[in-house]
Amino acid sequence: MKIVVCVKQVPDSDAALAINADKTWILESGINFGLNPYDRYALEEALKIKDAGEGEVVAVTLGPDRAAQVLKTCLATGADRAIHLKDDAFQGGDPWANALALAAAIRTVEPDLVLCGFQADDDTLAQTPVLLAGILDMPHATGAMKIERTDAGVRVERELEADRREVVDLPLPSVITVQTGINEPRYASIKGIMAAKRKEMKTPDPADLGIDPSQVGAAGSRLRFFDMAVPPKKEGGEVLTGTADEIALALVKRIRENTGVL
Amino acid sequence: MAGKILTVIETDAGRVRDCSYELVTLARELAQATGGTACAAVLGDDPVAAATQVAGHGVETVYAVKDPGLAAYTADGWAAALKRLMASEGVDIVLFSHTPLGWDAAPRLSAVHSLPALTEIVAVEDGGKVWTRLMFNGKFQVRMTLDGTPAVVTVQKGAFPPCEEQGQGAVKEVAIGLEPGAIRQKYVETTSAPASGKVDLASADIIVAGGRSIGSKEKFGIIKELADALGGQVGASRPVTDAGWLPHEHQVGSSGITVKPKLYIASGISGAIQHIVGMKQSGYIVAINRDKEAPIFEVADVCIIGDQFEIVPALTKAILEARGHG
Ligand SMILES: Cc1cc2nc3c(=O)[nH]c(=O)nc-3n(C[C@H](O)[C@H](O)[C@H](O)COP(=O)(O)OP(=O)(O)OC[C@H]3O[C@@H](n4cnc5c(N)ncnc54)[C@H](O)[C@@H]3O)c2cc1C
Repeated sequence: MKIVVCVKQVPDSDAALAINADKTWILESGINFGLNPYDRYALEEALKIKDAGEGEVVAVTLGPDRAAQVLKTCLATGADRAIHLKDDAFQGGDPWANALALAAAIRTVEPDLVLCGFQADDDTLAQTPVLLAGILDMPHATGAMKIERTDAGVRVERELEADRREVVDLPLPSVITVQTGINEPRYASIKGIMAAKRKEMKTPDPADLGIDPSQVGAAGSRLRFFDMAVPPKKEGGEVLTGTADEIALALVKRIRENTGVL
Repeated sequence: MAGKILTVIETDAGRVRDCSYELVTLARELAQATGGTACAAVLGDDPVAAATQVAGHGVETVYAVKDPGLAAYTADGWAAALKRLMASEGVDIVLFSHTPLGWDAAPRLSAVHSLPALTEIVAVEDGGKVWTRLMFNGKFQVRMTLDGTPAVVTVQKGAFPPCEEQGQGAVKEVAIGLEPGAIRQKYVETTSAPASGKVDLASADIIVAGGRSIGSKEKFGIIKELADALGGQVGASRPVTDAGWLPHEHQVGSSGITVKPKLYIASGISGAIQHIVGMKQSGYIVAINRDKEAPIFEVADVCIIGDQFEIVPALTKAILEARGHG
């Protein structure tokens, strides 16, 4: 079984974020990046399938030079090889342009299964994997909380709202997006980190993948972001200030007066 | 632009979902702004009854798209049927709710037209030329344009009010004739998480909920102590239950439990929309967060900007003293 895991490098969840001068995205300088949390679960799911049988796990990312870090994380955690779409022509793309580039890279692997995180923690667009499935003409399922092999393919439990799940069977190859909490992701061992240094990391450019550079990256994009801003705040509640003890006393008073539970 | 604005209706046990009526509001708004027409589609093996429910809500036509292959939702089935409907009806904008159906089907449909989708939008301007959505867990908003048609859109639940009944639109039955083999996913069943009976957040009067920033199962003790002091239950945001610090049944939010206690205290929870929808109806909301910009403060009655590791234990002490146990 050959499994591709698509991963993205995103700002750490506790990074202090600011908006760039063009108001199109965040300021990327001076913050730490890491593996998108959703993708860590997708990687673990791939490694579990590999552990249960045999196979190969190929991690793929699209992003600038610094994004090599998340591929190294994948390799150190157990992925076998990696593909990094880091050519300038690939950068700055919308989900369609990105899916087109990723699809071209994934075709070179000829996978049985493509796993992705449900969404990226930064833009939370939650669509690139499904576009990718469309381009690759593979069936897909989003928001998996369980993936099981069956004779004919895979059985996926999709997370619905309010604690319900939808069970669907899919043939292979297909594209599945993974929700957080599906498994307990493993972390890289020292041995894994050492072994990762010898693993292959390819960096194909558009010509290597047979794609026209005008179709990918910023040039191939039709979805444009502008006017990024802090959303106008709704009128919030009363702000309590003071020392922790003063705040606590004031709060006890408010709870008494307003809730009837004390 | 004067084409059709098509709302994709979701049903649950035969009833049209509230979020679909929110889409109709938006469709009507867009139709008015563009001179186009608001339409809707109900897909199923027997869609006419639900289509009739929708027809009395100010849409011109409700397509009852009928096929045995549409008996249950599948991405392939929905994309194939809607693709055909759009080709025959000239649709400029397709609206889905940002739900497990919408985020599964909408990008598949936009891919048919070699376009990205506009996902989880919360506002629109200029008759569908400019869309607004949130990013970074609600920290920022961004405006967007899409160069191309059709615009396939998913709309955040609750972003628009549900539409009022109005007029009487036509129900038009459409037999779509999906080829066998066109649908590769096979729907098996829908299941519900079994309740353990140990915690019952849905009927709790007091909930103290902690978030990712608590940092570990052990440190979650400060939340439990406050809940105990108040005689309340412990709630959590998703990362807490994902990490196994608490069982899933403590998770408040769109993919967990919706709660409505008299008092909800949220500590170190940023206030992502998926959490907010599960607790915003609480009677009295206290938010503790060290980031004064945290979206949770927008739904709070009392805002405490500070470190939960100082505030929460101080509050526990004050509550115990107030109750005479101190
Ligand atoms: C389909 C889907 C369904 C989802 N369903 C749910 C759901 O049902 N429920 C849910 O909760 N989430 C759900 N999520 C996840 C949701 O999007 C957020 O990721 C999640 O709610 C964030 O949890 P958090 O607030 O604990 O963490 P974060 O967003 O990381 O926030 C941590 C907060 O802690 C604050 N903080 C840090 N240190 C301190 C300190 N010392 N003192 C005080 N404050 C501090 C920070 O300022 C920050 O605001 C879902 C996501 C998706 C995509």
